[in-house]
Amino acid sequence: MISPADGHTPLTALVVQGITMDFVGLRALENVNLTLRQGEILGLIGPNGSGKTTMINVITGLLRPTAGRIQADGADITGKPPHKIAQTGVARTFQKVKLFRELTVFENVKVAAVSVGMPNRRAKEQAWVALEELGIEAWSGRIAGTLPYGHERKVEVARALAMNPKFILLDEPAAGMDEEESAALLQILTPIPEKKNLGMLIVDHDMNLIMRLCNRLHVLNYGKTIGEGTPEEVRRIPEVVEAYLGS
Amino acid sequence: MKDKPASTATRSHIITLLILLLPLIIIAAVTKLIGNVLFERVVITLFINLILVLGLQAFMGNSGILSFAHIGFMGIGAYASVLFSMAPQMKKLALPDLPLWLGHLQLPFLPSILIGAIIAALIAAVVSFPLMRLSDASAVITSFALLVVIHTILVHWKTVTNGPQTLFGVDRYTHLETSMCWAFIFIALAYWFKESSIGLQLRASRDEREAASTIGVNIILVRWQGFILSAFMAGLGGGLWAHFITSFSPKAFWLKETFVILSMLVIGGPNSVSGAVVGALLVTGAFEGLRGLENQINIAQILPVQLIGLTEIVLSLTMIVILIKRPLGIMGGREFR
Repeated sequence: MISPADGHTPLTALVVQGITMDFVGLRALENVNLTLRQGEILGLIGPNGSGKTTMINVITGLLRPTAGRIQADGADITGKPPHKIAQTGVARTFQKVKLFRELTVFENVKVAAVSVGMPNRRAKEQAWVALEELGIEAWSGRIAGTLPYGHERKVEVARALAMNPKFILLDEPAAGMDEEESAALLQILTPIPEKKNLGMLIVDHDMNLIMRLCNRLHVLNYGKTIGEGTPEEVRRIPEVVEAYLGS
Repeated sequence: MKDKPASTATRSHIITLLILLLPLIIIAAVTKLIGNVLFERVVITLFINLILVLGLQAFMGNSGILSFAHIGFMGIGAYASVLFSMAPQMKKLALPDLPLWLGHLQLPFLPSILIGAIIAALIAAVVSFPLMRLSDASAVITSFALLVVIHTILVHWKTVTNGPQTLFGVDRYTHLETSMCWAFIFIALAYWFKESSIGLQLRASRDEREAASTIGVNIILVRWQGFILSAFMAGLGGGLWAHFITSFSPKAFWLKETFVILSMLVIGGPNSVSGAVVGALLVTGAFEGLRGLENQINIAQILPVQLIGLTEIVLSLTMIVILIKRPLGIMGGREFR
């Protein structure tokens, strides 16, 4: 098992140190350490309720951790408001898609570039690039609320990419997609981290997708880390097999 | 590929603006042709109401937060502009307790209404900042509380408002052309704001608050900017109205006006500038039509009793039906194009 908290915090990484998150009567995360390096794809997996989404919410500032520290690219982002964290280069998508329903697809993506501080012209260009990346530029004029479900997910990924992030956290990007759609999405996502030199964290239940896509895995169970490493390494950890893979 | 969509977008914005301006030009031209003073008064009121609706749209439509305070800022703009435009001799009669420097001061119409609008915007900037973190019901209730505060101050600050009594002696500067030009400017201003980067971020925060914050939108800041612009527009509408009606009391900036402006926006559809224009035109049309009908019924004595309040009741019922059938108003958040 690789330990990320070895004293060296790499500068071009998202580093989560000793994060604990308590809700009333429930410890959702307990002393979790996690490092997401630029250029890699890290899978965050675990059974339902193991704290995966909570971790993304803590990193993106929607939840304030009870204890621990988070650094993005060397800057301390612990307890900062969500928009500040976004502006330091951390993007995300949601398990339940949250598009701006009354805006067009183009506006949905452009507003992300605008909000992280790009001037109008650059934001427009950036939005087109992101739409093309996902292959959805043909929908640019449609009102987002009228899109079919599978399309919504792609718009959300494009929106996150338009921020030109250093780190992107995808919460079940293939949820609700059929096999064909999720394979197509996989093809789009795989080359992005290397091409854009960004760190991609993926939460998903589809083990097939996770094993093929990720360079490294981080396994949570009841809010605690029970395994970490390459897919092959993780597969051999008895606790992981018992808690997750075996079932 | 990358340039085309942008230029078609610009063209469609211009088309939208032209479609919105056209009916106003026609109405103004017809009014000139008819030359009836009463009809002209109705049309000027329509244009001023439109300005107020557009001001409300700039905040409420883009942020999704209902604000009751709007007409309060109209009142501030009305009283503040009059303090600068009124002739010193008149001030001695109407507002004898004014501080000397203000009592002797007289500015032309345009700077007066602009100063009035700026004062409304500054007050909005100071008082609204802490309110901008509120959403939903608590935001609505605090905005109503703000209206009550402003109203109470207008009623009791006798030195500058003449208290609850009517303030008289205001010169008439707002004519048909003036109000039409300002309506044009405000349509363009509301439209520009909606499409601006602040307006875009505000609309994103309206649709999905959490998602907006995680893409980098500083929600409190963009709401605040929208609220200040909205108060500026309301203040200017107030200044125009004061110099049209020429004598008024704080009662004018209270629930009745609030309800009229709000119903125009809700019926037309708050999420688009087209909705604001359609709402103002339709409600004014319906209002005047119903009032005429009410008068006719009473004069002809068709009913055994006097008919009172038909206009308000029909308007309220319309609003209820619209809210049930089309929660986003007649325009449903879309623009003409």
